[in-house]
Amino acid sequence: MSGLLANWADWLPQLWKGLLISLQLTGAALAAGLPLGLALALLTSARTPWLKWPAIALVEVGRGAPALVVLQMVYYGLPSAGINVSAFISGALALALTTGAYTSEILRAGINAVPKGEVEAGHALGMTPGDVLRFVVIPQGVVFAVPALMGFAILIFQATALTFTIAIPELLARAYRIGAATYLYLDVLILAGLVYLAITIPFGWLVNRAARRLGSHLG
Amino acid sequence: MSEAQTPAGPPVVSLKKINIRYGNHHAVRDVSLDIARGEVVAMVGPSGAGKSTLLRAINMLETPSSGTLHVGDFTFSLDHRLSQKELLALRRSTGMVFQQFNLFPHMTVEKNISLPQMRVLGRSRAEADKVTARLLERVHLADKAKAYPARLSGGQQQRIAIARALALDPKVMLFDEPTSALDPELGLDVLEVMRELAADGMTMIVVTHEIAFAAEVADRVIVMADGEIIEQGPPDQVIRNPQLPRTQKFFRAILDRH
Repeated sequence: MSGLLANWADWLPQLWKGLLISLQLTGAALAAGLPLGLALALLTSARTPWLKWPAIALVEVGRGAPALVVLQMVYYGLPSAGINVSAFISGALALALTTGAYTSEILRAGINAVPKGEVEAGHALGMTPGDVLRFVVIPQGVVFAVPALMGFAILIFQATALTFTIAIPELLARAYRIGAATYLYLDVLILAGLVYLAITIPFGWLVNRAARRLGSHLG
Repeated sequence: MSEAQTPAGPPVVSLKKINIRYGNHHAVRDVSLDIARGEVVAMVGPSGAGKSTLLRAINMLETPSSGTLHVGDFTFSLDHRLSQKELLALRRSTGMVFQQFNLFPHMTVEKNISLPQMRVLGRSRAEADKVTARLLERVHLADKAKAYPARLSGGQQQRIAIARALALDPKVMLFDEPTSALDPELGLDVLEVMRELAADGMTMIVVTHEIAFAAEVADRVIVMADGEIIEQGPPDQVIRNPQLPRTQKFFRAILDRH
């Protein structure tokens, strides 16, 4: 037991560095993916067919294809299209696409929850459809979606583990490297799992609090 | 009641042969209606008569299938789809107050009233806030500028909604059952503000079940049934001495309940 703890103490600094990369990947995926999700949410509700159908296709493919497949496609696809970026950029881009596809549905539900009467009031005041979206629908729809989006942020944080397949030195990749060097795979993977939990469990509490606060505001 | 009794100049609102259909349902049938500047018109009738539908056609929240619509300086033939520009111009000449108030709950009272002025009329924030402050005085809620709508009573919210519509200087105010969602005593404040508005010479079309209000404030009462105007005239005549059996039955039912 003390041997295990001593090993964990040895490995933790390595895993800590990996965790920081996992968190950076999560941040990048959300920073790029959430605006994409909002754009897709609006486009899939658009009346113009040539705006609507490509957006629906992108959402369906993004949700239908496993995140691992999207990741590999971006990682190997971009260089063959003559675009050379780092593995981190490829990974962030792929996770952002997945984030955009999934969060578009979450945001669309939030936007649909904005009462139709308020939209009508905006139109009756003579506001342009763009202004009604910008000042009435989006600010409220996004707030309605916050708890579900925070829940999704946990999932995408966990999904960063997939990027060990494209050699990004994130948390899981570093755990594997230690496992390969020591053959103590189980021990190091348990530690890695605990590090993931140290993030996801407190964040999960925050999600619940956000949902409760929002619920009390709406009630 | 006001100068509307002596018809002055061209009508502010003029509907000609308006038809509104939902699939097979013919909600408004060939309705024509002229409303003079400063006139206060109460539209009454059983539910499903097409009153609200007709009112909502005046700012094109409902789309008539045929007819001609004139509001303020604009005349539109409804045989073709209105362009976005025409639609905005039409809506900028009308103010609407809804049964459910429909304030923007994420904005303060002040912002609810100022933002549309800034976006629709291009007023600066300072200008808009000045107009807002004046209107809040007018609806007797000057102390609520920084409050959020959820903190206000229904009657207060409705008065804010009236101020929000007035802030855009509409040619006509459309009221769609403005007190139906309110407790009777909360509705009184709203009716008081509407009474003052009428006294100030605002052109108003009010869909309402408040027959007492119609009798007191309206210059003309219009009775609708089955998508048509079946009777209209001064309140004394229409409410106290209706001509058609259908109208008599309607007013008797309402008076019996009071």
